[in-house]
Amino acid sequence: METGSGSAAATRRGWPPRRWTRGRRRPGPFRRRGLLIAAFLAPSLLVFLLYRVVPLGWNVLLSFQRWSPFKPAKWAGLHHYEEMLLHDDVFWQSLWNTVVFMSSSPIAIALALGVALLVDQPIRGRALYRAAIFLSYPLMTVAVGIIWRWLYDEKVGLLNFALISLGVVSRGIPFLDSFQWAMPAVIVAAIWQILGFFMIILLAGLQNIPRELHEAAAIDGAGAGQRFGRITLPLLRPAIFLCLVLGIISSFTSFDLIYVMTRGGPNYSTELLITYIYRVAFGLSKLDYAAALTVVLFLFLLALTWLANRAAGGEAGAVEAPE
Amino acid sequence: MRGMTGRRRLLPAIAAAVVALATLAGAGRPAEAQRKISVLTWNIPIYKEKIEGWTADFKRIHPDVQVEWLDKKGTEWATFYQTQLVGGTAPDVIDVQGGLWLEYAANGGLVDLTPYLAREPQLRDYYNPKFLATWVYEGKQFMVPFYVSKTLLFYNKTLLKEAGLTRPPQSFDELIDYARKMTKGERSGLVTLNFDWLYWPLFAMNGVELLTPDGKKAAFNTPAAVKTLETLARATEDGVIGKVSWTGRWVENNGAFASGTVGFHHAHAPAFFYVRGGGKWVSADTLGVAHVPGGYATPNSHGFGISKSSKHPDIAWDFVKLITNEKWAYTFGTTLNNLTGTRTDQKILEHFRKEDPLAAQVLQTQVEHLDKLVATWPQAKDAEIKEAFYAEIQAALLGRKKAAEALAEAERKVNRIIR
Repeated sequence: METGSGSAAATRRGWPPRRWTRGRRRPGPFRRRGLLIAAFLAPSLLVFLLYRVVPLGWNVLLSFQRWSPFKPAKWAGLHHYEEMLLHDDVFWQSLWNTVVFMSSSPIAIALALGVALLVDQPIRGRALYRAAIFLSYPLMTVAVGIIWRWLYDEKVGLLNFALISLGVVSRGIPFLDSFQWAMPAVIVAAIWQILGFFMIILLAGLQNIPRELHEAAAIDGAGAGQRFGRITLPLLRPAIFLCLVLGIISSFTSFDLIYVMTRGGPNYSTELLITYIYRVAFGLSKLDYAAALTVVLFLFLLALTWLANRAAGGEAGAVEAPE
Repeated sequence: MRGMTGRRRLLPAIAAAVVALATLAGAGRPAEAQRKISVLTWNIPIYKEKIEGWTADFKRIHPDVQVEWLDKKGTEWATFYQTQLVGGTAPDVIDVQGGLWLEYAANGGLVDLTPYLAREPQLRDYYNPKFLATWVYEGKQFMVPFYVSKTLLFYNKTLLKEAGLTRPPQSFDELIDYARKMTKGERSGLVTLNFDWLYWPLFAMNGVELLTPDGKKAAFNTPAAVKTLETLARATEDGVIGKVSWTGRWVENNGAFASGTVGFHHAHAPAFFYVRGGGKWVSADTLGVAHVPGGYATPNSHGFGISKSSKHPDIAWDFVKLITNEKWAYTFGTTLNNLTGTRTDQKILEHFRKEDPLAAQVLQTQVEHLDKLVATWPQAKDAEIKEAFYAEIQAALLGRKKAAEALAEAERKVNRIIR
């Protein structure tokens, strides 16, 4: 006996119709196909399970225990969370810094959009400009950190040399050793690195906007500003959203840049949650407490992803089935 | 249909092949029954050739034991060792810097070497007792010296002379006063290293103690400490002490002194070789070495210990004895410009007096005033205390907090850690 709806749906997808028998399911072509799909998926799912789900589960468990590589685990309940939320001011500072660092993404996107609009113009050598701007992205983050550290150097840095030469300051600014300047300085380096990547995404988005729309709007008397606000920006929304998500993810994983440039200093003013987790785990050997911090980071990311998904109309990551 | 039958035949054939391969691989296992120890060193890949010499010598005593050498940079060392501990594959012999060993020892992660040393009393005399004492926790000896260093005061003779000064400072007030006199424009008077309690002599010379004698309570929140911190903060704000002293780790601080624009450099002996490498001005005529006022110094040595998880602790001990013996201690000292905390040091110093008199002057300070070693408190939570304390005083030194406020907050945090 065939189930009409299942069969119809299967036929729509181009698969053979499902066959059902009373009492026992016969291994028909549909089931064989299912097995085949499962067999193909199994290795990657296994890897995902082993390297993502199991460690995450273990990490959550560890966050409720007292544990060190030398001693067996003991149940600690909410001790680490209490410590973190009520007594650890570095945790709050690093969380705040992470939010600040993350909020630099819109600045990077705005700059990238400006650059993308420029290199989208029919100017001579635009391919060269595009390549030059994109080149910062494939650079190793460690190299980027070292380059910028030297640029910011108080005594021999190019930036201070320029500022002193122009008479803006009389003495070099210790950018990375200053409470006021360290975070903006690191953010500038991070923006510089990701700018090229965002530019490419936005440029692709710009080139997908039909030229006729702009032409029609121009004929109707729309100025450049109106065309940008009413046509370019709305149609670039998916590309901007993609940049935003990538920027947020990148700000959470900017361990190497911070580690090379400031190590979270001075006095935790550039400490991000991710660098603090590393410091706690491997500097202070408190792996259990670091696990609790990781759970909080995970929850924070989860909340952000949910918000991003909501902002995208609940369809972020959705894949349309082929007709 | 034929294809299906083919696959049915093929699958068992593949399974059989896999089993056969696994069996063959297993057949090679008995060869691995040979005993093996592993050695983890701290950022000395440059010493590879000599380490092969260690292994060759060791093979003569234990031909049946394989030695595996691993080396990690300082920034990766602890991460690597901890992950190996968790994985149950901790290296047998470890070369540890500073106070990192304390936590391992306090948590039962290291072999107590006291019985080994008791069995061979000649070794107790061979290793320098003052340095040996820095690796004792709860009466047990956990490490023996590999190479040793402690802090001292380097000074730029030219800048000192230009400021009208004729000798290094004899008190804390003089140190700050002299540094102030040498400060001018881009020049600053003093730079210090700050990691691993290396800055502590600046407090010790003012009579500040970190903890009570029983180690159970913070003892540093005193008027003397407040005054010291205020003086250091003011000097930092005025540019007398370079800010890099409180924010840099190694390269930046040594680099500042090497640039020739800093009067005093409070650092440990290895800094000399970095400074000389980067500072063209450095010579016996221009660089002076002295003890800080009062002769206080923080040791920052490397020792060898044995992981508790070692399957062959006795063999590992034989290896440690061999690589710290006179031959290898002398080779290490003269190759990598260090003293070794052993009787061999006099021979190493002789070598430097002939070959490199300025280096000899620097190294000579490392075996003087050994009764004034500070910041050697045996606290299992040393790393946590250090982090909590330094974060607060750094805020005061960089003008973010008042000294009294920072010390009170540091006291609260440190007491919370050691309670």
